[in-house]
Amino acid sequence: MADFNVNLRDVGNVSIIDVKGYLDAHTAPELENVFNKLLDGKQFKVVVNFNDLKYISSAGLGVFMAYVETMRENKGDIKFSNMKESVYNIFDLLGFPILYEFYKEELEAIQKFNLQGQA
Amino acid sequence: MINNIRNTTRARGLENTILASILLFLYNIVFPLHDTLILSTINEVLVFITLYFLFKYIHPFLSGKTDSPLTLVLNAGILTALIFFVISISMSLFDDLVLTNENLNIFNSLFSIILIFVFLGSSVYIFSTFRELFFLRQKKDPQTYFNTMLVFFSLTFFSNLLLKVDSNFDYPHDAFFVVSIVLICINSLRVSWIAFIIKRQKLYLLIISTVLSVLFGFNFGMLQDTNTIKQLLVTFSPGLYTIFSLVMIYGMIYFGVIFFTTLFHLPTAEAFDRKAEEASSFMDLTKLITQVFDFKELAETVMNITTKVCNSYSAWLVTKKENNYELNAVKNIAYIEADKLTKLLLDYEERELIRVQTIYFDSVTSDIKGVMGDFKSIAIAPLKVHEEINGFLFTARHNNINFDEDEKKSLQAFADYAAVALENAKLIAESIEKERLEKELDVARDIQRKILPSQVPETKNLEVSALFIPAFEVGGDYYDFFNLENNKLGFVVADVSGKGISAAFIMAEVKGIFESLSKIILKPSELLVKVNEILKDSLDKKSFVTVIYGVIDLEKGTINFARAGHPPVIFSRKDKVEKLQPGGIGIGLDYSSGFANTLKEMQIELTNGDIFAFYSDGIPEAKNAKDEDFGYTRFENIIHQNRDKHLDQISNELMKNITIFTKDHAQHDDITLVLFKWKS
Repeated sequence: MADFNVNLRDVGNVSIIDVKGYLDAHTAPELENVFNKLLDGKQFKVVVNFNDLKYISSAGLGVFMAYVETMRENKGDIKFSNMKESVYNIFDLLGFPILYEFYKEELEAIQKFNLQGQA
Repeated sequence: MINNIRNTTRARGLENTILASILLFLYNIVFPLHDTLILSTINEVLVFITLYFLFKYIHPFLSGKTDSPLTLVLNAGILTALIFFVISISMSLFDDLVLTNENLNIFNSLFSIILIFVFLGSSVYIFSTFRELFFLRQKKDPQTYFNTMLVFFSLTFFSNLLLKVDSNFDYPHDAFFVVSIVLICINSLRVSWIAFIIKRQKLYLLIISTVLSVLFGFNFGMLQDTNTIKQLLVTFSPGLYTIFSLVMIYGMIYFGVIFFTTLFHLPTAEAFDRKAEEASSFMDLTKLITQVFDFKELAETVMNITTKVCNSYSAWLVTKKENNYELNAVKNIAYIEADKLTKLLLDYEERELIRVQTIYFDSVTSDIKGVMGDFKSIAIAPLKVHEEINGFLFTARHNNINFDEDEKKSLQAFADYAAVALENAKLIAESIEKERLEKELDVARDIQRKILPSQVPETKNLEVSALFIPAFEVGGDYYDFFNLENNKLGFVVADVSGKGISAAFIMAEVKGIFESLSKIILKPSELLVKVNEILKDSLDKKSFVTVIYGVIDLEKGTINFARAGHPPVIFSRKDKVEKLQPGGIGIGLDYSSGFANTLKEMQIELTNGDIFAFYSDGIPEAKNAKDEDFGYTRFENIIHQNRDKHLDQISNELMKNITIFTKDHAQHDDITLVLFKWKS
C-alpha cells in the first residue's frame, strides 16, 4: 500500500508530529501509536505538521477526533500547520476549521501555545 | 495332449497347475513304469510343465510377502525340515518303494505318486522363495542372471533323457549340472536385503541360516546315497531328481552365504538401525507437516522423535511470542523446570544460538548446574525460517555422553521441520482470518444492498436518477427518498466514515433515524441537529457521518437542503454551473451547540431544467494512476455539458468519464450519485 511516515519531535514544551505520505485506514494506527505515546508522557500540546502529507482519508481524520478531547481537557490542544490546499479542502468540507486551529507555519502554532501558556 | 495344455496356457495359473498335475497323475496311473524312451520323454515333459505352472502360480503369493523376508525364509525352512523328515522316515520304514514289474500295484503307485508330488511342490516352493529373496532390494535389474540359471536348470532337466538313449552319454548332463551350480553360487551372492533388517532379526537369521544350510546339505547328501527315495525319484523322473538336487544345493549355498554375510553385518547393525529409524522418522514428520494443521500435535510428535533419534531422555520446544518465549511441548520434563532451564540457557548461550549448541554439566557455572538438576548434557537447536529465529528445540540426557555430529544434525533437522510447521500453522491461521474478513465483507455488502432503495420515486415535475457502485471494500454510502405529506419529497445522501461491517451497521441506524425523523421534522437543518444528537451515543470518537438532507416541495417548486460536512451540491441552471456549499460540520465532530450554530440551510426556487447533483466523495476523489483526483471541474463540466440529456444518460456519461480517467486504478471508495431535474 501507499506508504506513510510519522515522526515525533519536541520544540520547547510543544510536541510536533510530522506526517508524511498517505494517511488512511491502513496507516492511521501508526499515528494513533504516536498519540498514545504522548498521552503516556502527559504531553498534551501537539502541533501536527502536514507539510509532506499527500492524502488523508476519513479514518485519518478520525484519529484527531479521537484525541483532541483529552488534549483539551488537559489544557492542551491539537493544532494543524503547513497543510496543502488539497488536504485542507478535505478538512474544510467537514467543518474542521470551526473546531480546530489551522496555521500556515508550524512556528505560529507553537507561538500560540506559548502565548496561551503565559496567559 | 500338449496342444491341450498349450491352449490353456493363457488361462489362470491355478487351473493350469491343476490340469498339469492331473495329467501327470493320470499318466502315471496308466503308465507306472516308464521303460521306453517315448514314455519317459512324455513323462519328463509333463513333469516340466507341472513344475513350470506351479512356479508361475506360487510367484504372486510369495511376492506379496517380501516385506518380511524372514517369514519367507522360515516357510522355506519348514518345508526343508518336512522333506528331511519324509526322507528320514521313508529311509527307515520302507525298504522297497521302487516300482518294478514285481511289486506293481495300484497302492504302491498311488503312494509313490503322492510322495513325488510332495517333493515336486516343496522344491518349487523353496525355489520360488529363493527367487523372491534374489530380487529383493536389488537396485539394478538382475533378471538376466536368474534367467540364465533357469535355462541351465531346464537344460540339466532334459539332458537326463540323453542318458536313456545311451548311458555313456552323460557328459552333457554333468556339464549342465556343474554350470548350474556355478550360476547358483553367483546368484547366491545377491543378499543385500540382509542389510535392511534390524539387529534382532539379524541375530535370528544367523541361527536360522546355520540350521537351514545344514538341513539342505543333509537333504542333498541323503539323496546322493542309494536309498529308496532316490530310487523312487529317479525311477519316476530323473529330471525332477536333478531339479530337487539343484534346489537343495542352492539352499545349502545360499544359506551358507547368508550366514557369513549376516555375521559380517552384525557389528554395524546397530548404527544401521539408527540410520533407518532416523530416515523413517523424517518420513513420518514430513507426512505430518502436510497433514497436521495443529501445531501442538506436531510439536508433540517432534518431541517423541527427537528423544528417540538423539538417544536423549527429555525434549522441549519453545517459540518466540513477541519478546518472550512460550513453551509449546515437553517430553519427560515438568513445564516449570523446562521454563526455568529455557530462560537460563538462552541467556547463557544467546550469542551462539544460530546453530546447534551443546551444554555439558561439567563445563557450566554452578548456578546453571543447580538448574540442570539431573541432566548432564543438553543440546539446543534454533528454529529458523527465512534466516529468522523464532524458537528453540531442546533435548537433554541424564548421562554424560556427548552429543555426536549425527545427533546434532538430526536435532537441527527436526528443529527445521518444526520451524516450517510453525510457519505453516501461522499461514493457515492468517488465511482463516482472511476468509473471515471476506465473509464480513459479504455481510456488509448485503446490509448495504438491503438498505438502499430499490427504485427512485416517480413524480410529474421531477425527474430522478440514482446510481450506486460499491467498492471492493464496502464503504458507508447511503441514499434514500421519503414521500412526505403535502406532496413533498425528502431525500438524503450520506457517507459514514470507516468501512466494512461497522460502517454498514451505522448506516442501518442512520437509515432508521432519517425514516422516522423525516416524517416529524420538516426543516432540514433542524432535522440534522436532531440526528447529530441521536448519533452521539452510537458513534465512537473516531467516526463521523457526512450528510446532505433536503426536501423538495413538488407543488411550490422549491428545494430546501442542509449540509453536514458533505461534499457540495452541484447545481446546473441554463447557462451556469456552481457548487452550493452552505455551512455545516460533519455529524459526530461536535456535540455542543457549535454544530447547530454553524449549520446553514439553503432554499432555491426551482426553474425549468434545473439540475442538482448529490453524491459521495467517491466521485471527486476518484484517482488515476498518477494519483490525481477526478476533481470538481471535470464533474461540473460533464453535468453542465450534458444538461439537456436524460438524467440516466448524464449519469452514464459521468461514469464513462470516471472509468476512462481512473483506468487501471482500482475504485477504492463507494460511488453514489443522485440527480434531480426540475420540469415545469
